[in-house]
Amino acid sequence: MIQLKMETFFKFMVFSFFLLCSLSLCNANASRSSSSSSSTTRHTNNWAVLVCTSRFWFNYRHMANTLSLYRTVKRLGIPDERIILMLADDMACNARNKYPAQVFNNENHRLNLYGDNVEVDYRGYEVTVENFLRVLTGRHKTAVPRSKRLLSDEGSHILLYMTGHGGDEFLKFQDSEELQSHDLADAVKQMKEKRRFKELLIMVDTCQAATLFSQLQSPGVLTIGSSMKGENSYSHHLDSDVGVSVVDRFTFYTLAFFERLNIYDNAPLSSLFSSYNPSMLMSTAYYRTDLYKRQLQEVPVTNFFGSVMETIHTDSSYRALSGRESHKDKIKMPFDPSASLHDQRASLNSNGQKEINDSNKKDQEVACPFTRMMATFHDKMEKIEDVDTLVNYGFVLMLPLVAVSTWLSW
Amino acid sequence: MALPRSMIFLLLLLLFIPCFASESIGYEPQEEEGEEFSEELLLKPLPDRKVLAHFHFQSRVPPTETYGPHHRLFPKAIYQLVQKFQIREMELSFTQGRWNYERWGGYDPISSNNAKPPGVELWAVFDVPQDQVDASWKNLSHTLSGMFCASINFLESSTAYSAPDWGFRPFSSNMRYGTLPREAVCTENLTPWLKLLPCRDKAGLSMLMDRPSIYRGFYHSQRLRLTSTEFISAGLNKGIELEQTLTIVLQPSTPGNSMAYSSGSVLQPSWSLSSLFGRKVGGKCVLAKSSNVYLQLEGSLISELNNLQKENERYDTDNLAFEGSSSVHGFELSVSPDRVIKELNSLGKEHPSILYEFLMENYTDSKPFDFGLTWKLPVVWSCPQAPLHASRFLMGSGNERGAIAISLKPTKQNEGFQTADINEDMCSLQVDVFQVVPWYVKVYYHTLQVFVDGQAQSVADVIKKMRVSPSEDKVSPGVMEMVLKLPCGVKSAALTLEFDKGFLHIDEYPPDANQGFDIPSAVVSFPEFHASANFLEDASSNKSPLLCKLQEKSPVLSYTEVLLVPLTTPDFSMPYNVITITCTVFALYFGSMLNILRRRAAEEERLLKRKAAKKNGRFPLLLSKLYTKLRGRQWEQPQSSSSSSQSSSSSLSSSLSSLVSSKLLIKVVLVAGVAAGWQYYFG
Repeated sequence: MIQLKMETFFKFMVFSFFLLCSLSLCNANASRSSSSSSSTTRHTNNWAVLVCTSRFWFNYRHMANTLSLYRTVKRLGIPDERIILMLADDMACNARNKYPAQVFNNENHRLNLYGDNVEVDYRGYEVTVENFLRVLTGRHKTAVPRSKRLLSDEGSHILLYMTGHGGDEFLKFQDSEELQSHDLADAVKQMKEKRRFKELLIMVDTCQAATLFSQLQSPGVLTIGSSMKGENSYSHHLDSDVGVSVVDRFTFYTLAFFERLNIYDNAPLSSLFSSYNPSMLMSTAYYRTDLYKRQLQEVPVTNFFGSVMETIHTDSSYRALSGRESHKDKIKMPFDPSASLHDQRASLNSNGQKEINDSNKKDQEVACPFTRMMATFHDKMEKIEDVDTLVNYGFVLMLPLVAVSTWLSW
Repeated sequence: MALPRSMIFLLLLLLFIPCFASESIGYEPQEEEGEEFSEELLLKPLPDRKVLAHFHFQSRVPPTETYGPHHRLFPKAIYQLVQKFQIREMELSFTQGRWNYERWGGYDPISSNNAKPPGVELWAVFDVPQDQVDASWKNLSHTLSGMFCASINFLESSTAYSAPDWGFRPFSSNMRYGTLPREAVCTENLTPWLKLLPCRDKAGLSMLMDRPSIYRGFYHSQRLRLTSTEFISAGLNKGIELEQTLTIVLQPSTPGNSMAYSSGSVLQPSWSLSSLFGRKVGGKCVLAKSSNVYLQLEGSLISELNNLQKENERYDTDNLAFEGSSSVHGFELSVSPDRVIKELNSLGKEHPSILYEFLMENYTDSKPFDFGLTWKLPVVWSCPQAPLHASRFLMGSGNERGAIAISLKPTKQNEGFQTADINEDMCSLQVDVFQVVPWYVKVYYHTLQVFVDGQAQSVADVIKKMRVSPSEDKVSPGVMEMVLKLPCGVKSAALTLEFDKGFLHIDEYPPDANQGFDIPSAVVSFPEFHASANFLEDASSNKSPLLCKLQEKSPVLSYTEVLLVPLTTPDFSMPYNVITITCTVFALYFGSMLNILRRRAAEEERLLKRKAAKKNGRFPLLLSKLYTKLRGRQWEQPQSSSSSSQSSSSSLSSSLSSLVSSKLLIKVVLVAGVAAGWQYYFG
């Protein structure tokens, strides 16, 4: 009897050992394959998910923001079937709109954002946190048509743009639900696990946008938000004809940057990020790069906002995929007048960039309030030139106080 | 002789039969062969100074059996849709605005086929077994939502659609019907619709579709109608027919020509295509078989104009100036029509309406077609009306219950018709009503009351047939189909139904729940009346699909208003309030309980006293010292309130504490000094 038990026990042990071994092997394989895949896959396609989360007419500007970005990415070469556009309300044909079937993002009304060829994938009541997360993670019902799915793969660069009303670690959807920073981080993590992107740029224009990124952990994610924690993002200007504000500051200056670009420009992401001037934005644009491997100076904006691929020059037709040895030629603009301009602007805005960097540094050191305080104290102390006079003054001040105290204790 | 004759006859017959047969066989494919596309536009001035524009595009493809699955003109997406879901008939409409039945007419084919309820309406008949219809419907709704950029997928939920039996259309089995009254309609819905046309909006009549001018209109309804005979047994199979219509009511701009005439009537605004749409037609879409523009003038308008002409002739003889290209006076056309067609066979109408036809073949980009109509005389007319005008409204107040009422009132025009029939004793008027009510409006069907001419009638007298499927909470909507028989001379009729307002789960409220909830339009049809306008004099010559459609006999049909029911909406922050209040209550309860259970009163008192004794040592002591110094009195050691046994220890502690306090004071002062210095330097 005992022997039998022992035998079963032994068998069980052996079995479990094998199981463990196999599991660990699997894991190792999986991790190796995933790491290798992410490093070897080439950037092959671009997707954009543009979300306007606000309902109601007075949030016209959020829809204008989103449509401006839609126009920009379309102009820079992302086709309509690779753009998921989510608009929470109908502004263009709203009864309050004086200009039916038109949306403007500037009071000069020069540009109708709602042209003849807008494809809205999710609109009205469909723009919910659930649907948003479904789009990101790709967990749809089987009946959902292709045009409503984000069919990206491991070679995709995805631009995720969101605008609406937000707060500390949340973004409101339709004034009734919230997307929390944890939800977003979780969705991005799932996307990474499912190899739904190679690189992801999250751009958010809300109040306290930076807080939405605090939980992100997945590699290959670059984020930029319009404001730091505790800051508001403001609208840019009011259109008295339409009757509401038509664009937000962060998006306005983003568009101002992109309007000068065309599909052949090699302007790097760093030039976009440094173009935000905190005094114009009335908030501090915050970007988080610790999850992103590549140098921002080397990444053209068209990697996310356009659909520009690397061209690989090969001598023969079928050896292209043989590997990294083949030298890569980037698209070069024959004549690039805007390059010098960018440099100029970069130097002009270097001050602003420093501020952004400063704040970044601070934020990274957040560890404990006391150490932070000490650090700031130390910084200030170092800046003082004549320490001796300060000490002298201190002593002089001390004397009467000591006198008073002795008089009292006497 | 008779025999050989008959023999010869038979022989001849035998000889000819193969000929006939071969001819018929050879003939049929010729007629059926090939895909067809045609584009047409019907313009019609409306009595209330507006203009109706009705675009009609039709594509037809022969059956797959003979023609194969590859198409030149027919949209592939639609073909696949038909094949995948085995659709026999389908209609999808996007509408914004409400068709004004009183002013724009309710008895012509355009109003009864193209006037649609606001938002999205979709119905489809499937050629699948009964148990697969729901699945097909759900998949169809998702596919259409992807195709037309709209939230049609909300019709997937079983609470949103219904299965009408006979109330909506006769003989409709395997039919599903659903509406979304609040769906927004905008350019993103029109664009994919236009992409189904072979010329898109780049050539032909669809070039007129300038988005801002279309959506500025009072009413626009974009419709897609599919008829397929693919799945019917061979022989009857005629292929798939796709009909796309866009019906718009526009207000022509009136730059200062609204001068009032002596009779008080105002001259109708003159308009042209370019003033209505801001664009002109640059020729036909080359892929279209026919490309025509029609101007329709209502029969009553023609008779009115004739009367005016007679008057003019009577008063001034030199009215030759009015005589333009047209045979009717009072207006002028900027382009002379290629053909003028008079309506035939207009039963019950005194005056036939007139159609002016313009062929787009004669125009090119360099010579665009810009048709204009200029009024010369003020004219007042009215459109033909449906026998009864239906309207629906809510009764009652409060957030608990209410009632729906449908009221039917005879229209002015109809009186003549009624007197014609009144000779018969049992003259009656049949009215079909079809109504879908969402589940959260809980209708009590037993409370149905019928009033005819203000008198309550017994339900059985008036209602000949009724089918009700009551709503089921969160599962299915309530459907009501009924046939009313009203006496011909009815002055007014009303139906009322009481209902309770249900409660929704907090997740089921839409984000703008305070706006209220919609009850979709009811459909009121008059199956005894047929709206058709026969403009085809001979079947052979130039069959225009639009005119064929106008000729088709369809029952007069009208939609009632959408009702807005305010439901009780909770305070959505209530859960948070509840959570916080509950937490507070729990904290108070457990806190005090634990406090009572754990407290040892005597020990605590002792502890407190000891603390008090210690505290007396420092700051209060100093304060009292300062006070006495300022007063100039001798400072006394204050007697501690503790018992005498502790006095010695307390005095000791006090002397010790004074020593400590002075050290502490120095420290405090030092820090204060540094702070003051800091402030001085960097403040």
